[in-house]
Amino acid sequence: MNAMQDDPLTDEVPDPEAEPTPAELAHARRFAALVDKTLSGRTPPAISADDRALLEVATVIRATHGNVELAPSQQRTAVEAALHQAIGERASGRSVAPLAEAGPQRWRRAPWLVTGASTLAAAAIAILWLRTPRPPAPRPAALPTEWASRSADSLVGPIARDRAGDASARLDAIFADRLDGFRARRLARGGKP
Amino acid sequence: MKFFITVVWAVAGLALAAGAGCSAERDANPPSSTRIADPSDVIDQDLMIALGQAKNFHHKSKIYMTDGNLAAATASVRQILSLAFPKGAPEADDVRNDARALLAKLLISQGQLDEATRTIDEGLAQSQRESFFVANLYTVQGEIHEARAQAFDASGDAGKAAAIDARRQAIASYDRSSQINERLQKKAMEER
Repeated sequence: MNAMQDDPLTDEVPDPEAEPTPAELAHARRFAALVDKTLSGRTPPAISADDRALLEVATVIRATHGNVELAPSQQRTAVEAALHQAIGERASGRSVAPLAEAGPQRWRRAPWLVTGASTLAAAAIAILWLRTPRPPAPRPAALPTEWASRSADSLVGPIARDRAGDASARLDAIFADRLDGFRARRLARGGKP
Repeated sequence: MKFFITVVWAVAGLALAAGAGCSAERDANPPSSTRIADPSDVIDQDLMIALGQAKNFHHKSKIYMTDGNLAAATASVRQILSLAFPKGAPEADDVRNDARALLAKLLISQGQLDEATRTIDEGLAQSQRESFFVANLYTVQGEIHEARAQAFDASGDAGKAAAIDARRQAIASYDRSSQINERLQKKAMEER
């Protein structure tokens, strides 16, 4: 049993319900101290291959839990390296701007980008609004001509010189015509004026 | 950055120019000349009352003329000019102009040529449009000039030049009347 506990990577997996042995507890404490030192940057110069393997596994497990954050400088370095690799710096000859400089410069242009986009959108909306044909305004229903107040020219026609003073007869004709229209409209409206 | 600002202003300017172009295009389209009768333009009771009153004044005038009472006939016709017609009713212009033509002829028959001239001139000045009734006013104006020419002739040699001038004016008035009639008839033919 002790031999098994001396080699935890190759020995059988102990029963999870079994009480830890003093040797296991001592090994766990030693390994915990080793992990703490590693995380704080004080990795011992010489460790056994088993401990190194366990240490790598522990580091990976800790990183996957999201409890590890790179320092800002390390983050920028990692992103820049990824960008260099993505755009193929050597082939194009272009260089990636350092994130420390690129970020603030991009934000300085943001208001102008927003203004430009807003202007373009407003212009597009205005053009669409002006070019969209509007439905014609509802027109009032056309009234019959005989109901309308209108010039008497079509009724009277040109006035001959010898009839120039015959206004009474012309007015009789106008009155009779308009009375017809007035009555027709009134009848159509059920007797209402 | 300056380039970017310039681009933004250029885009805005183009948008405004496009909008103005569209507006100008719309304004360039003339409104339809077809006029739909407005409900306020219908023949209503007020118009019929005014026409009826004018009709009565004409009949009274005829009776006075039959009796030879030209002064009363003239006064009766003159009352037509003060009748209240509905605002903007085209019949109002026609009826008033016709009354003025008759009034001027009555004044001519009474030798009141200046008053007759004033009656016609007022009618022509107040007319809003050409009509057969306006043409009739010019016809009566020509008759006034003819009557004046006869009066100058009667005054002897001193009035000969004035008589010739009056006859020329009469011809001009008749020509004016004919021109209006021709224009209106041509327009009526085109509308058919």
